[in-house]
Amino acid sequence: MKTLVLGVGNFLLKDEGVGIHAINELEKEIMPPDVSLIDGGTGGLHLLGWLQDYDRIIMIDATLDDNPPGTIRLIHPRYASDFPPLMSAHEIGLRDIIEAMSLMGDLPEILLIVISVANISEVGTDLSPEIQAVLPEIVQLVKNQTASHASFN
Amino acid sequence: MAEKIVVDPITRIEGHLRIEAEIENGKIKEAFSSGTMVRGIETIVRDRDPRDVWAFVGRICGVCTSMHSLTSVRAVENAFNITIPKNAELVRNLMECTVYLHDHVVHFYHLHALDWVDVLSSLKADPAAASAAAQKLSNWPNSSKGYFSDIQTRIKKVVESGQLGIFANGYWGHPAYKLTPEQNLIAVAHYLEALEWQRNVVKIHTIFGGKNPHPNYIVGGMPASINLDEANAINSERLAFVKKLLDEAKTFVDQVYIPDLLMIGGVYKNDWGKIGGGVSNYLSYGDFPTEGYNDVDSYKMPRGIILDRDLSKVHPVDANSPEEIKEYIYRSWYKYSAGDKAGLHPYNGETELNYTGPKPPYKNLDFNDKYSWVKTPRWKDLPMEVGPLSRMLVAYAAGAEPQKTLINNTLKALDLPAEALFSTIGRTAARGLETKLVADWALEFYDDLIKNIESDSRMVDHKLWSGEKWPKQAQGVGLSEAPRGALAHFVKIENRRVKNYQMVVPTTWNASPRDEKGNLSAFESALIGTPVHDPKIPLEILRTIHSFDPCLACAVHLYDEKGSYVHRMDTF
Repeated sequence: MKTLVLGVGNFLLKDEGVGIHAINELEKEIMPPDVSLIDGGTGGLHLLGWLQDYDRIIMIDATLDDNPPGTIRLIHPRYASDFPPLMSAHEIGLRDIIEAMSLMGDLPEILLIVISVANISEVGTDLSPEIQAVLPEIVQLVKNQTASHASFN
Repeated sequence: MAEKIVVDPITRIEGHLRIEAEIENGKIKEAFSSGTMVRGIETIVRDRDPRDVWAFVGRICGVCTSMHSLTSVRAVENAFNITIPKNAELVRNLMECTVYLHDHVVHFYHLHALDWVDVLSSLKADPAAASAAAQKLSNWPNSSKGYFSDIQTRIKKVVESGQLGIFANGYWGHPAYKLTPEQNLIAVAHYLEALEWQRNVVKIHTIFGGKNPHPNYIVGGMPASINLDEANAINSERLAFVKKLLDEAKTFVDQVYIPDLLMIGGVYKNDWGKIGGGVSNYLSYGDFPTEGYNDVDSYKMPRGIILDRDLSKVHPVDANSPEEIKEYIYRSWYKYSAGDKAGLHPYNGETELNYTGPKPPYKNLDFNDKYSWVKTPRWKDLPMEVGPLSRMLVAYAAGAEPQKTLINNTLKALDLPAEALFSTIGRTAARGLETKLVADWALEFYDDLIKNIESDSRMVDHKLWSGEKWPKQAQGVGLSEAPRGALAHFVKIENRRVKNYQMVVPTTWNASPRDEKGNLSAFESALIGTPVHDPKIPLEILRTIHSFDPCLACAVHLYDEKGSYVHRMDTF
């Protein structure tokens, strides 16, 4: 089962880029051979080409909602409309990509890891302390989900 | 009594663009364009090593992907007088062609086509008639009755599921949709095919730029190593894959995009070939050098300016001149040390935020005051349109081939006068024609690269890389034509660090607010006079604004995450 771990976000907008920071951390870890890590940046439709080659995709992204910053949620979306609102500030959003894939009839199994952030407007390449503090938890979550024979749940 | 309508946000793409329009007697009388978020990305590169800036600016947005990186390395090379090897020029051109091919096709099918194509109407089409019509349009093999019937079944399934997905937000059934059900079905089928096609072509970036999105660049050349026989380099196998992708791109553009463009243009030309022209000045920096970046005459896309729609003269543009390009903030939420009326050349640009607008969520903006996060750039105090239409017009006026012949042939095929170029349809058509040229040029650049590497393997000029010979102070400008228009990066370097960095991006030219004299910029002026059938469903506004391919990720530099949505329009 080929799995892609895809971090997305804008690395220049501090917490908005938590998905990219998570990929950078995961790159220091030993991952199973059938797991790939990709820094998706703000790639939008550019990412579709990567997604088609995998059976499972774990996406990591920031979301602006009313949860306390650093809240991590696991979502197993059935439809694009199950996505949380305003998945961060990058162009054609993940939701659109999922909708496009579903239209093309090749929707892989998707797990969404969303991290609540308070602010996606600050410019900078570092994370705020509350988001930095949950990075190890995100890494562990991805590792648990990609451990061999694990299935999404 | 004028009726006011607000469209916010108007794009699905990065950044928030808000249009407020006043309608009188069914036509737009006044229009205001506002960027409702700000970033100040420029501040992030201050005090950094100029050799690293490309990596940061490349992250601004995923839409122009590598265009900011390319323009940044050009600015630094310009500051230090670095010329790059031939191979690097060709590889940069090939990567830029890839951006154009991907961006223009995705814009046409996935961001703009559904302004003209009614998805639901396609369900009423007769697949046999659609097949006959498609076969008349082109030789594209996917055109059988069974093929169109399958597409219809797929669309029906999506509609019946109640999960319309990317088709959920259209104004289906709006009377301004004029295509037949069969034409709508052909266009929807190609919408899906374009979605498939686009995901492969970007692999060229991965091959030459090491990764995608956000491929790698380097000051002085390209960080790619070509060696036909080396497994870890760009070898003959990878080059053959690039060639295959470029051939497929050309076939797709020639057999699908261009015929669809002519089909749609033919139906809408009489209305939309007369409106949406906007400001009558056009600016292109030109791009695709073939004999070095400094030899502007060698560019495939020429540099220059057209004033007052006068195609008999091309005016020169000098981005370094302190008297030509200036940015104003009279109607923008910034502060200049020289006051609100000053215009600053980008070398001396300032980015001090000064929000004086209403507290969001707001209903309306005050247009007698500042009303946008977008600054107002001017060339010799004149508003300019930038983008594919500007590039094609400058080339046409300059007598450049193959642009001139291609434009003349297209006008003839559509039975339109040259004045029709200055319109919404003209802008959309210019983008398509340009894509065709770029598909051809990409194959030329590929052949040149294969020839050149036989005798020359250099990809980077390292002479000035170390920085020891850099002057204490330097400044440079990088110019390029991003798919959506003229892009400039201005860098001032002191003691080997970035002292000031300013970007004047395409959508800043097009989406900017009025200047002190009250002159409208491109979006605002293009909307004046546009008929609006029903202010509650202002499809017509989307047609014209989308024809510019707006993107505000870099045009406005806080998130107004809770902005007011009078008409929420998702336009994927």
